[in-house]
Amino acid sequence: TPGIVSAAASKETFNLKMTNAYPPGSPFYVQGPGSPTDFCQKVGEMSGGRLNISHFAAGELIPALEGFNAVAQGTVEMNAANAYFWAGKIPAAQFFTTVPFGLNTQGMMSWLYHGGGLKLWHELYEPYGLIAFPMGNTGVQMTGWFRDPIETVSDLNGLKMRIPGLAGKVYSELGVSVRLLPGGEIFPALERGVIDAAEFVGPYQDRRLGLHKAAKNYYTTGWHEPTNVTELLINKKVWDSLPKDLQMIIQMAAQASVLESLAWSEANNADALRDLVENEGVIAKPLPAPIVSRLKEVTSDTLSTMANSDEQIKKVYDSFMAFKDKHSSWASLSEKPLLNL
Amino acid sequence: MSGNEWLVIGMIAGFLGLMILGVPVAISLAVSGFVAGYLGFGTNLFYLMPARLFGVVTNYTLLAIPLFVFMGVMLEKSKVAENMLETIGKAMGGLNGGMGLAIILVGVLMGASTGIVGATVVTVGLLTLPALMRRGYSPSVSCGTICASGTLGQIIPPSLVLILLSDIVGESVGTLFAAAFIPGLILASIYIVYLLLLGVFKKELVPAIPAEERALISRKKLIKDLFAHVMPPLLLVFAVLGSIIGGVAAPTEAASMGALGALLIAVVAKGFNPAMLKETLHGTLVISAMVFFILLCAQPFSLAFRGLGGDQMVHAMFDLLPGGEFGAILFLMVVLFVLGFFLEWIEISYIALPMFLPVFMNYGTDMVWLAIMVAMNLQMSFLTPPFGWALFFLKGVAPKGITTRDIYVGVLPFVALQLLALVVLFQFPALVTWLPEAIGW
Amino acid sequence: MGGLARFCVLALVLMVATNVILRYLFSIGPVSLQELEWHLVSPIALLGLSYSMKHRADVRIDFLYERFSVRLRALVDLLSSLLTVAIGGIIAWLSIFYVIQSYNLNEGSPDPGGLAFRYLLKAFIPLGFGLLLLQGVADCFRALIQLRNPDNAMPVAAQLTAEEPV
Ligand code: NA
Ligand code: NA
Repeated sequence: TPGIVSAAASKETFNLKMTNAYPPGSPFYVQGPGSPTDFCQKVGEMSGGRLNISHFAAGELIPALEGFNAVAQGTVEMNAANAYFWAGKIPAAQFFTTVPFGLNTQGMMSWLYHGGGLKLWHELYEPYGLIAFPMGNTGVQMTGWFRDPIETVSDLNGLKMRIPGLAGKVYSELGVSVRLLPGGEIFPALERGVIDAAEFVGPYQDRRLGLHKAAKNYYTTGWHEPTNVTELLINKKVWDSLPKDLQMIIQMAAQASVLESLAWSEANNADALRDLVENEGVIAKPLPAPIVSRLKEVTSDTLSTMANSDEQIKKVYDSFMAFKDKHSSWASLSEKPLLNL
Repeated sequence: MSGNEWLVIGMIAGFLGLMILGVPVAISLAVSGFVAGYLGFGTNLFYLMPARLFGVVTNYTLLAIPLFVFMGVMLEKSKVAENMLETIGKAMGGLNGGMGLAIILVGVLMGASTGIVGATVVTVGLLTLPALMRRGYSPSVSCGTICASGTLGQIIPPSLVLILLSDIVGESVGTLFAAAFIPGLILASIYIVYLLLLGVFKKELVPAIPAEERALISRKKLIKDLFAHVMPPLLLVFAVLGSIIGGVAAPTEAASMGALGALLIAVVAKGFNPAMLKETLHGTLVISAMVFFILLCAQPFSLAFRGLGGDQMVHAMFDLLPGGEFGAILFLMVVLFVLGFFLEWIEISYIALPMFLPVFMNYGTDMVWLAIMVAMNLQMSFLTPPFGWALFFLKGVAPKGITTRDIYVGVLPFVALQLLALVVLFQFPALVTWLPEAIGW
Repeated sequence: MGGLARFCVLALVLMVATNVILRYLFSIGPVSLQELEWHLVSPIALLGLSYSMKHRADVRIDFLYERFSVRLRALVDLLSSLLTVAIGGIIAWLSIFYVIQSYNLNEGSPDPGGLAFRYLLKAFIPLGFGLLLLQGVADCFRALIQLRNPDNAMPVAAQLTAEEPV
């Protein structure tokens, strides 16, 4: 009878490997509350040891950005990263991490869980034999560190900035010279003025890199990354082979990680920003409004050009924008006034 | 011990065996890794191999290897390096060990522009070893000096070890860079004192240029030579360093300023012609590929080490950790040193440190100080036979007649000097912590 | 192939230097040119493997080797070249699938303005190790000839390359 079969299956033990795009020891990205290693431990305990996931940080099994190919191939069963790292393979994937001037964290979570976002994500990955879930969120990121204050749009012209991805493209439209640099070289380059500005993550992670020792102007609202979703990538065959209860444990542990990592980020960023301003002489403020609105115009053009060039992007873009429209009207009357109280 | 643990030991033994027999180091690494891995976990994990290889050849910081090697080969082919050392040797007068000092200084200056040991050792080796041999320096002292000087870049900022450690210990890169500055200079000074002492007590090992030959050259000519032969390469090093300090180039790309400068110097020195350029490109390609060959073939070895649970074996040593902060530090240093006999430093830092460091956080140990001690120790692992990267790299560019034994024997005193430096840092933590606090990094 | 790799060395030096100078003087720095910097390392490292083997620039530990008889040395050389063939073959074979996967994904740079066709870059892995395999075969024959005539000096080709300045 089916009952006996499922009882037998549920005794089976699964040993899986998870790789990570971030180096060993990184808080949030590798360890700490709501991190991928925390997720693996939670899954182990929730399943009573039936699902063991061994975690490998970047470089331990494979280099940082090789997780997608390894999981698709099935040599590794899971990977922790951000979907925008796969933009070179699936351009539409970047919408599942963050969109410049897009949804904030609350809106992003709503779109993913209740606005059809997660379903689109699964559809997009299906042909590659993959499935993905959100497994964390840094919350809003920061515009970045600038050696000199930025007062007008023309100050951006000729500025040398470390900024990867879509935001880099937007900045370059305004005359910024985009420099790609690995994490370890950001500090020396900014400190010596090889670059004039650098974007990294948020107060807690940026302070850890020491960026405040290299530049004092910290522009805050992360127009380019209003939220940032950590992706749990799973090989679809492996996922399908797991019993229902273990699948549910994975989903619930991932959701718990989203909440816990976000709460952790908010708390630590608040502490770190206060410390930076009060003890390190950092000047923290948003970019002047005219610059932000210019960036917004260019972003909007860039996004719609992207959407018109690729059918998959178009589909995700339309869903995302429709949801944002709806969510923004709601938020403008709920959260926005609340923050001004 | 489990079957896989025996395989780990067999893998290390197999590697050492093949290597000692005279099989190329790279091939020995790859073969032992593949065989032990295949016996232990079959083929599965090896499907990850291409991703690791791709990671090596697309690693941004490794750009510095071909760039620095190009600079070195170009200076060698245009005889700039040879003239420089000769002139320095003459300028040092009767001081025994004088040319050795020049090599340490070149190591410090190059170390301040890169952290890639392969690039520095190969470049310094190419530039200086033939001249030292001709001048009657003992092969082993020469080799030891070059290896030690070439690894200084690991502790002198900027440095890959420090960047990686900053992630693991959670201190900013800038803090660690500042903290490593004085220890790096101390280490270089210890080397210099050692060479000077050799010059006094064992002068036949590090002879000065004979007085009669020096007498042939007038003071005026010497000063002219200093300008003609020493200034250009010195300017080159300052071009590299200056472009970093002056905010022109990030550390890795700065190497290109050296390469471009070497090209210009060759043109100005009239040593430049198409045939010479082709030879330089040939030399750069052969030497860079030799370094990459080892880095690539280390991948199957590291992958098998992990796949077989070698990291778990290291973690099991953790149970032996004695109580007390002092005992724990001593234990950590010994473990790192021993692992350095057969593992690459990145693998060591990934496997051992995240496990050990929380213990020290509990003791309230100063993590900056500990990180610099660890960096110094890892640097030592580049020098310790039989498996020290610096030794292999130097062997690759050494002229005929320099044996592995010369290199192994030559580095031993420098390993001892490094230990001495470690003890000094242990006794006087302020040497590490003072500068970052003073400049507020 | 050696010529292509040598050209890449020169291109790398000029490319990185040009990027630095353009950025410093004119604040120009296209993402594609920056990516090209590290794209040039793959051909240098991977095509260079067989090239450096051919020019006998591999690193070996020789304190026993130099004491061996000519015959024993030839045996070690034979063993080395057979193992080289095996390593070249295994890695080339493993990485063919890796390249095919990248081709099927039509993989390119994740950065806008970056370079497309990343599978071409990845194809240097099987190509480089495939050439290493061929070099191993050639070295095998060289070792066998040496083994058959242990009294003769090394074959002319080997002697020439050994004396070539490195
Ligand atoms: Na350095
Ligand atoms: Na070692």
